[in-house]
Amino acid sequence: MFNPVDDAVERIARHLRRPVQIDPALDGRVMREISALPAPGRATLGGEVWRWLRRPHQFTLTPLGGLVAAAALTVGVLLYRMASTPPAPPQGESRAFQFVLVAPRATHVELVGDFNDWDATRTPMRRTGREALWTAVVPLVPGRYHYAFFVDGSRWLADPSAPVARDEDYGQPSSVLTVGGGS
Amino acid sequence: MGIGNVGTSDAALVRRVQAGDTGAYADLVARYRDRLGRYALHMLGNREDAEEVLQDAFVRAYRSLARCDDPERFGAWLYGILVNRCRTAGARATRRARRFVHDPAALETAPLAGPDGQAEWDDTVRWALARLPSESREAFLLKHVEELEYEDMARLTGAGVSALKMRVKRAREQLQAMLKEAERV
Repeated sequence: MFNPVDDAVERIARHLRRPVQIDPALDGRVMREISALPAPGRATLGGEVWRWLRRPHQFTLTPLGGLVAAAALTVGVLLYRMASTPPAPPQGESRAFQFVLVAPRATHVELVGDFNDWDATRTPMRRTGREALWTAVVPLVPGRYHYAFFVDGSRWLADPSAPVARDEDYGQPSSVLTVGGGS
Repeated sequence: MGIGNVGTSDAALVRRVQAGDTGAYADLVARYRDRLGRYALHMLGNREDAEEVLQDAFVRAYRSLARCDDPERFGAWLYGILVNRCRTAGARATRRARRFVHDPAALETAPLAGPDGQAEWDDTVRWALARLPSESREAFLLKHVEELEYEDMARLTGAGVSALKMRVKRAREQLQAMLKEAERV
């Protein structure tokens, strides 16, 4: 379906993606500046270890060595599970959640959040009853979601009945919903 | 498209520099100059500031090269330094209450206005981009121009994925509104 917002944004993005030429003389300026600096040297031991740990490795094990390694791994896992906190709740099926907002003067309201990529076109809310209740039902799997109501295409509202997300993270009011894994 | 997928030669160059071959750094600068310059130019809206920040980022990266734990991802690491320098430069410009100005050099090299109004469109895009809040501009450029994944953007900016998605969404809406405004004038 044609979406004027996507079309306009794509035109802008295409325009901005054109290659830009920076004055090659910049290379010389950088090199002159660093020529006065001490050589950077090699990575630290900690950095080398961290890099080694992140690289894929291949090991060759004899059958006996494999058995020993498997036994050691099993013991390690058992010890870890005994020492660690109880396991996380199992991932459950998605459950339907109803979001409700009272907004008598609104002409249209959209629900936006992590579950719909903050796309205002995906979850329009329906107006019901004389009290101007706006509702939307969304299936959610267990997890933590940030969301907000987008009113009349210009106003962001946090859910008054839910914990508010920290403002500095978003620049706009939003709320937090945690969906548990239990039944 | 992700970031830092530039092959092993980056790592080889970084190791040569770390071993004392300063000249190898010139190859890295030449390799990343235009791509990073594009981000800085769009972010700051001014070629002079963009080149200053870019030069600063390259010099800072050289100074910190020993802390580049993964030379294979030198590009992504360098990108992170540039994003931070652009933020600092943007804040400085805001403190100076500097207004967005047209970049004469860019205008000289911009295509002439054709039947499709290319030069006007260029002006409109840069005008709209400059009016976005810096956080939204940063998120929009990283997502839609540099075409990074949200996870890569989160690593570069230190912001959460949800926050970044929201900033991108806001930027898209604001750009759309500004385009409508420009079309009415």
